[in-house]
Amino acid sequence: MTDTTFITPPEDRPTSLWRDAWRRLRRNRLALAGLAVLALLVFVAAFGPWLTPYDFLTQNLDARNLPPSLAHLFGTDDLGRDVLSRVIYGARTAFLVAVLVTAFAVLIGVVLGAVAGFYGGRFDKVLMWVTDMTMSVPQLLLVVVINASLKQPITLWMEAQYMETMNPLYRNSAIVDFVLVFGSMALISWPPYARLVRAQVLSIRNRPYVTAARALGLTNRIILTRYVLPNAAGPLIVAISAGLGTAMVLESAFSFLGIGVNPPTPSWGNMISDGLRVWTNYPHLLLAPAAALAVVTVAFNFLGDGLNDALNPKGQK
Amino acid sequence: MNALLDIRGLTIDIDRDTGPARVVDGIDLMVGEGESLGIVGESGCGKSLTMLSLVGLLPNRIRATGGVAEFAGQNLLAMSPEELRRLRGSQIGFIFQDPMTSLNPVMRVGAQIAEALVYQTGMTKKAAMERAAELLDLVGIPSPRDRLMAYPHELSGGMRQRVMIAIGLAGSPRLLIADEPTTALDVTIQAQIVDLVRDLKDRFGMSVVWITHDLALIAGLADRIAVLYAGTVVEDAPVDVIFERPTHPYTRGLLASLPMLTDEPMSRLPSIGGTPPEPGRRPAGCPFAPRCGLVTAVCHSAVPRLAAVEGSHPAHRVACFVTAASGGRT
Repeated sequence: MTDTTFITPPEDRPTSLWRDAWRRLRRNRLALAGLAVLALLVFVAAFGPWLTPYDFLTQNLDARNLPPSLAHLFGTDDLGRDVLSRVIYGARTAFLVAVLVTAFAVLIGVVLGAVAGFYGGRFDKVLMWVTDMTMSVPQLLLVVVINASLKQPITLWMEAQYMETMNPLYRNSAIVDFVLVFGSMALISWPPYARLVRAQVLSIRNRPYVTAARALGLTNRIILTRYVLPNAAGPLIVAISAGLGTAMVLESAFSFLGIGVNPPTPSWGNMISDGLRVWTNYPHLLLAPAAALAVVTVAFNFLGDGLNDALNPKGQK
Repeated sequence: MNALLDIRGLTIDIDRDTGPARVVDGIDLMVGEGESLGIVGESGCGKSLTMLSLVGLLPNRIRATGGVAEFAGQNLLAMSPEELRRLRGSQIGFIFQDPMTSLNPVMRVGAQIAEALVYQTGMTKKAAMERAAELLDLVGIPSPRDRLMAYPHELSGGMRQRVMIAIGLAGSPRLLIADEPTTALDVTIQAQIVDLVRDLKDRFGMSVVWITHDLALIAGLADRIAVLYAGTVVEDAPVDVIFERPTHPYTRGLLASLPMLTDEPMSRLPSIGGTPPEPGRRPAGCPFAPRCGLVTAVCHSAVPRLAAVEGSHPAHRVACFVTAASGGRT
């Protein structure tokens, strides 16, 4: 590179942090493969109803536990439902859980972590106690407790609402499931984000450009949102990418234990749970959802690793 | 000349676990309207802290504990954080040491300059961008309109420091504090930046405080020079007087350690032996006494105050028992 290009980058190709990161990401094949799988997941989740060969609920008791065939690519389950259709609908559940839970957890984590790290003081201490406490309790236990203690009040409240309004929406038990599953998962998922953001903010808030922003008379709010947080985004994006995968696995684990999304809503977790009981006779019932979960989780991890390298160029070589 | 900034008896302490340690011990400084003051001293002598304390930007656990700092007649040290925030940028502008790290790496430079304008003057974003282009032009950046869209990492060190100056000037401050703005730049660029600041100062009639440890660099910029040692002003005089008649032994040491064209080739430059006292471990008397070649008994027991130098320029003051009376000719 000559001196002139250093001072004057080509006008038609402005470089930026994100553009550079994208360029580095594109060179990483595993990350691209991960991205492709996730694009497929989004597509399947979005257009599921138009893609499935059968309805995921329709039972065909004459065609139970069929092995994979041309008519049923992944075979059928013990009620004669098409497994491929259920895996596709499971992708919907998985995607919804991953995105909503992560979004909620990141929102809580970023707000609390940023405020604690930036302003410090007593709020910071209290927040760190809370995160330490939340992280020291086994996650499964916490979710069971939250589910068990909240399920009844929410169900009763929904009943009461239904009696008052006769709105069929309140009779839909899937909503209770989702609120409980999303809510309890978000409530155990935010502390790592809060810690990460707090640590980032702590290291960034004393950087010279933040002092320079203070010397300009900018308010704390502007300094935090425009100078501190954007510079903390790199590690957070990596964490989010990994967190999406973790949320999916977590949901499957809960469904497997019967405290997640309840049947008949298909979720990979409850499909794995059902398949496990009969896997010696009908291995395809376990394999199909387990493979889907594994592929998607690995894809998230590949992408997360790729983003990590792309956003931290100094970490390479 | 009317005083724009008048600091009297400023003290700054670091809160240590073992108790407060004094880093700035009763500084007296005056900056006139339209004047440029050079503050010279080695690292850790309190130059930067003094200036940061004026606008409430001291780091955690470091506090201004005494004295007065009047800016345009108002005591800055008695102001609320919110009042100080309003003052920053619009009345007192800053240029920092390291242009490499003092710009937000994820924000285009135009947006960074415009931000200052939008929040200080209530300009619209569009007008602020126009003004930002003007400011870039003013600080000598070629094709400023294109540069508005550049990220800091696309600019060279000298260019970034020019951007920093443009940001410092954005609010049209009455006082510009430049905290070693050329330390990170190479020598030819240093001279350009000094020329630029002098030019801007004359054009806008600002007062400038230029903090440095490079006496030679500010000789061409400052009207007056204050020499700091261990958190006190040891000598304060118009720039010519400092160079012609350095009086405090520390000032003389500093000047002697500058390389001169008349020096014998390959000869060793003189240096001042020893190190400055650590905060909290100041000697009882004159802080320079342990390193001073002219030290007398009184130096170890009493602290010298700034006093006029016999027979020198009326504005020439020095804090030394030995040299003040003799007019710097000891």
